[in-house]
Amino acid sequence: MKRRFGFGTLQSRIYTIFTLMIFSSIFIMQLVSFRFTINAARNSIIENNRVLLGQLVTQIDSYIGNMEKLADAVIEDNEIQFFLENPEAAGINTLTSIESRLAAYIFARGDLAGILIAGTDGTLLKGEPDTEVNPWSVIADQPWYKEAVDAEGRTAVSTSYVQNVLKGKYSWVVSLSRSIFSAEDGRLLGVLLIDLKFNRINELCRSLVVGRRSYDFILDKDGNYVFHPMQQLVYSEIRSEPVGEILKMLEENDRETYFDGEHYFTAAASALTGWHIVNVTYRGDITTNWQWVQLSYAAIGLVLFIVVGLFTNKLASGITKPVRKLQEIMKSVESGEFHLVGKIEGTDEIRELAREYDIMVTRIRELMQENIMEQELKRKSDLKALQAQINPHFLYNTLDSIIWMGEMKQHREVVQMTSALSKLFRISISKGRELITITEEISHVQSYLTIQEMRYKDKFRYLLDIDPDIHDLIILKITLQPLVENAIYHGIKEVDHQGFIRITGRREGDDIIFEVSDNGKGMNQQQLVELIEGVTAADEKRSRLSRQGLGVRNVHERIRIYFGEGYGLSFASEEGKGTVITVRLPAKTQETIQ
Amino acid sequence: MKNLNMLFISLLSALVLFIILSVFYGQNNPKELSLNEPIQIVLKSTAGQPMDFWDVVGQGIEQAAKEYGIQVEISGPRYEKEINRQINILNRIIAADPPLIILAASDYKRLVKSVEQAESRKIPIITLDSAVDSKIPVSFIATDNLEAGRRAGAEMKRLIAGRSKKEIAIVSHIRETATAIDREAGVREALEGEKIAGTWFCDVEQEKAYRITLRLLKNPEIGGIVALNEVAALGVARAIDETGSKDEMIVVGFDSAIRELSYLEEGVIKATVVQRPYNMGYLSVQTAAEYLLGRRIESFIDTGSVLITRENMFKREYQELLYPFNPQE
Repeated sequence: MKRRFGFGTLQSRIYTIFTLMIFSSIFIMQLVSFRFTINAARNSIIENNRVLLGQLVTQIDSYIGNMEKLADAVIEDNEIQFFLENPEAAGINTLTSIESRLAAYIFARGDLAGILIAGTDGTLLKGEPDTEVNPWSVIADQPWYKEAVDAEGRTAVSTSYVQNVLKGKYSWVVSLSRSIFSAEDGRLLGVLLIDLKFNRINELCRSLVVGRRSYDFILDKDGNYVFHPMQQLVYSEIRSEPVGEILKMLEENDRETYFDGEHYFTAAASALTGWHIVNVTYRGDITTNWQWVQLSYAAIGLVLFIVVGLFTNKLASGITKPVRKLQEIMKSVESGEFHLVGKIEGTDEIRELAREYDIMVTRIRELMQENIMEQELKRKSDLKALQAQINPHFLYNTLDSIIWMGEMKQHREVVQMTSALSKLFRISISKGRELITITEEISHVQSYLTIQEMRYKDKFRYLLDIDPDIHDLIILKITLQPLVENAIYHGIKEVDHQGFIRITGRREGDDIIFEVSDNGKGMNQQQLVELIEGVTAADEKRSRLSRQGLGVRNVHERIRIYFGEGYGLSFASEEGKGTVITVRLPAKTQETIQ
Repeated sequence: MKNLNMLFISLLSALVLFIILSVFYGQNNPKELSLNEPIQIVLKSTAGQPMDFWDVVGQGIEQAAKEYGIQVEISGPRYEKEINRQINILNRIIAADPPLIILAASDYKRLVKSVEQAESRKIPIITLDSAVDSKIPVSFIATDNLEAGRRAGAEMKRLIAGRSKKEIAIVSHIRETATAIDREAGVREALEGEKIAGTWFCDVEQEKAYRITLRLLKNPEIGGIVALNEVAALGVARAIDETGSKDEMIVVGFDSAIRELSYLEEGVIKATVVQRPYNMGYLSVQTAAEYLLGRRIESFIDTGSVLITRENMFKREYQELLYPFNPQE
């Protein structure tokens, strides 16, 4: 069976609609879950960084907190107080003792770059002996000194910078500085400076990050950089951070993350230092290796799609297969066959449809059978009608003749004609049989000829020449009489001389041939053609039916109805010489007919 | 046939799905460089002090390499004057067909042949700090030395105005090196109208610069010395410091060695023009990455220079430049 995959078929429609629906639902599902996965991954990385940021803040704060404790210890040191109150009175021994104590602090803690106490009178207590003060740096102008004085006893935390207070020593530090007040009168004695190695904070910042390119940077409370891993790039404006946005975010405290399109900025504030610690995570780092996720998503989509596609295909054909089978069976109607569907696999609807169809076909078959029978009946009744047509003319003419002969007291002739008429009708009726023996038919035509001969005295003579071998074969009754009638009325009656009618009958192979010939008027070529057309043409084409032809045609049609197309009448005629009508019938006996 | 058709439609749809997904999420992945071999970087010197010029260049290189996710391999002779050794190293690297070479040429002319060799093997070259006499390199990342020279010259012109000793000497570090040639040209251009006593070469030896300075100090007409690099500046400054003649002789130097900065603080050196080595290293790798990604790159990238004096040397923005942070400290 050849079927194209056109979009008109039910199967392809079901398949297409399902495919589109499944495609869009898989697609939407994947989109959503992909977004979800990405967001989840991103959130977890950002959350990780936030946790790390929290740890960083805690560590920095605890670190600074420790340093403050150290500052407390130094400031509450009575000896230092005493020395700063009156350096001359304290003497060089006190200075040495204090400096060695400060040196011990530095030594004990590896993360201190230096401790310095600067008195308001210019005295300096250094934690690192054997170092000279940088003659070019003015202590009172240093930011840490000024800030400590401004802070009035609270600890000032500097940003990161290069400490240049000692000669030849330039170290990166974050400074804690605090004013020292006199315990007696509360006047400012000096400023304590504790320098933390910046490296420590640097290490913390660099170690507590996740992600290939992630990094942390620190802003002080004014938005200046305390630490940035690429500080030089920042200062030469090769790189910039959205400091304004980050400060705004921290100030408004409404968002946790700022996203500039490429980087996620997460910030946390350190309470002790006032610093803002910012984590930067690259979007690209979060989505590294996403092509594999993508690929697997696509692969899952593909597999799902194929599986569901095949399933849909199966489903669609499950629905349409019975429909198509039904359709094929129904198609047989086109060729005139009415097949029943019978049992069919399919849904209730399909089975119901098949059942209804079967009922319909069965009904159609019955109707057709009825139709055929009706046709048959009609044909037979037609036949009877045709036979009946013969009777009335002839009957009243003959009866007239009998009356007339009776009046003339020609009793013998009356008896002769009446008996002939009686014989004629007996054979005509012949108990309703259509087929009679040729003997009976001859007897019938002879009766007719007897009557006519009496009516038309000396008008014609006749000869019956029937081969005795065919006497027992059968013939459709009233076959010859109309032909003889025709010969009398249309042939002999029209001429002045005495007519002659010859009737022959013989066997010719499987057929019987009768010939009814007369020497009457005959027909010219045109009349003959008209007659033949009138007799042989089908009913609807027969426009002008000559009265002459009616009886002859009845014979012709009846023969054909009973015996088939190959039998019937044929004509030959010549004007002024006469007409020959030939009858062809199958040679059959009463037995072979049954 | 029908089933084949359906399978075909399914596959096609799945393919469409895949393509759409890729297009949708492809944009989520910024284009990344994936190289099988590291980028080769040949510097002038690898045996310097921690935090000296080339070490800081190295820091910039590492930072950019990390950011762009690419491997780099740094090599070079121990000392800057070992030109033949650098040529050998470069030739050996070229033979291994790396994806790209970043070169800081220690000689303007003698490395040209190797660079041509690299071009014949289709290895792109980016020059860093010092160029070669060739049009082959795809980009040159360096301080605009002419501009740096002009800066130094202009400062010298400003400082020497009003002094009685008017002549100016130039102490250059080496002949036939692009940096020295450009800086000298810049200095001379800015000192247009002043008398220039001449140019002396110290061959990247501090001792030689020291001796040159002692001789120059004897010349009563010379009131200013422009020293064209770190080594020259240190030699000059040492001579001035030792003879106690910082008030008679104005010194403008280049670069920012710690000792140089001490001299600056003390007033021995009046000003120094400082390059940005970190940026140089960073931008060279960035440019290399951009080039390998097929993006458009500039043929010359000026990494800039800054004039540092005692007044601005402790400004926060210059601190990292002058005192590069050493994580090992």
